[in-house]
Amino acid sequence: MGATFVVVLREGFEAALLLGIVYAYLAQIGHAESRRYVTLGGGLAVLASIVMGIAVSALSGPLADIGPDVIALVVIFAAVALLTWHGWWMGRHAREMRGDLQRRIDAAHASQQLWMVGLIAFTGVFREGAETVLFLWGLMTQLEDVSGWAALAGGAAGLVGAAVLGWLVFQGGRRLSVQRFFAVTSLLILFVAAGLFSAGIGRLQSLGLLPGGEPLWDTSWLLDDHGSIGGFLAGLVGYRARPSALEVAGYILYLAGATALVMPSLFGRSAPRNGNNVVEPATPSRV
Amino acid sequence: MRRLMRSSLLVIVALGTLIAPIAAAHAQDKTVEIPLTAANQAFDPAELKVKAGQAFVLVVTNNDPKKAVEVENKDLRIEKVVPAGKTVKIRVRALKPGTYIFVDDFNPSAKVKIVAE
Repeated sequence: MGATFVVVLREGFEAALLLGIVYAYLAQIGHAESRRYVTLGGGLAVLASIVMGIAVSALSGPLADIGPDVIALVVIFAAVALLTWHGWWMGRHAREMRGDLQRRIDAAHASQQLWMVGLIAFTGVFREGAETVLFLWGLMTQLEDVSGWAALAGGAAGLVGAAVLGWLVFQGGRRLSVQRFFAVTSLLILFVAAGLFSAGIGRLQSLGLLPGGEPLWDTSWLLDDHGSIGGFLAGLVGYRARPSALEVAGYILYLAGATALVMPSLFGRSAPRNGNNVVEPATPSRV
Repeated sequence: MRRLMRSSLLVIVALGTLIAPIAAAHAQDKTVEIPLTAANQAFDPAELKVKAGQAFVLVVTNNDPKKAVEVENKDLRIEKVVPAGKTVKIRVRALKPGTYIFVDDFNPSAKVKIVAE
């Protein structure tokens, strides 16, 4: 039971983390009513995961062979692109809020980007969704044994655990001041995206589409990325106990590039124009 | 609207560049296919020999009438569910000489040893 609990918790954690951040983000910018975009995105992703699970189990042939791999790669790199974009956009937004507290967030500007949070929710959930569906489905076929039931219970508990963590992220994120929230989540999102990017490279390597794949180092004696703590770090910052050279290089390059893109808008060149150094928490403006 | 069109065009181009090499790799799959059967909580054969330095495709057939198996090797980032009665192809990258153990994640006692040489 413990094993399947960890497997599902680990796979669900990243999705829950992203959902928690996105929901909190909407609350912070005063667009709580736009939660439906996120809920819709997440819900569609669950549906798509189930459909894909059924398709993989029911179909066969070349399409069923390459389909899941292609979709997994598309989703992972789409998620990276969306998160980078979102981080960049949040950075700009933070500066706006800091620069002139009187000014409301431009509603049109904000709502134009809201489909993006829906997409983030979709990719975040769908990324591990299809595999989790297949995994849980596979577990259900083991139900003849007593241990099968325990394993399924563990899997279900893992899903619940992930949801609770996402909810905690949401609650915590909502309580932070706007500036702190934007700064923390921009950083967090960059690390999550770096981890995703490097995982995408790892997938390409495991398919033989990129060379290499031998582990560069092995820290599994210290912290196994398939355990609970290592699993959290895997979802949060992309920790790998046995990363390949390309995965490490990709991680560092992405982080460097994305930091250069996002950080200046977040921290640099943002001296308050009116010389007022007191940064008040902006009241979320309903527009 | 124009921005939306431009970004969707970008997305399509990006997807294309991503999918093309994968599809190509699959299409010209001259890669060796190695059959493997799973049934009664065991793999048959229990040991396989492959050529080192050459990618291959593991063709896993699950002959169990009910139970799914999940072929797993964490180092190779392989985790693939094979539903009961189904055949699934698993691409494996070129391996360095050595021994690689694949397990059924649902029944870890079921193992297959792949020796690359």
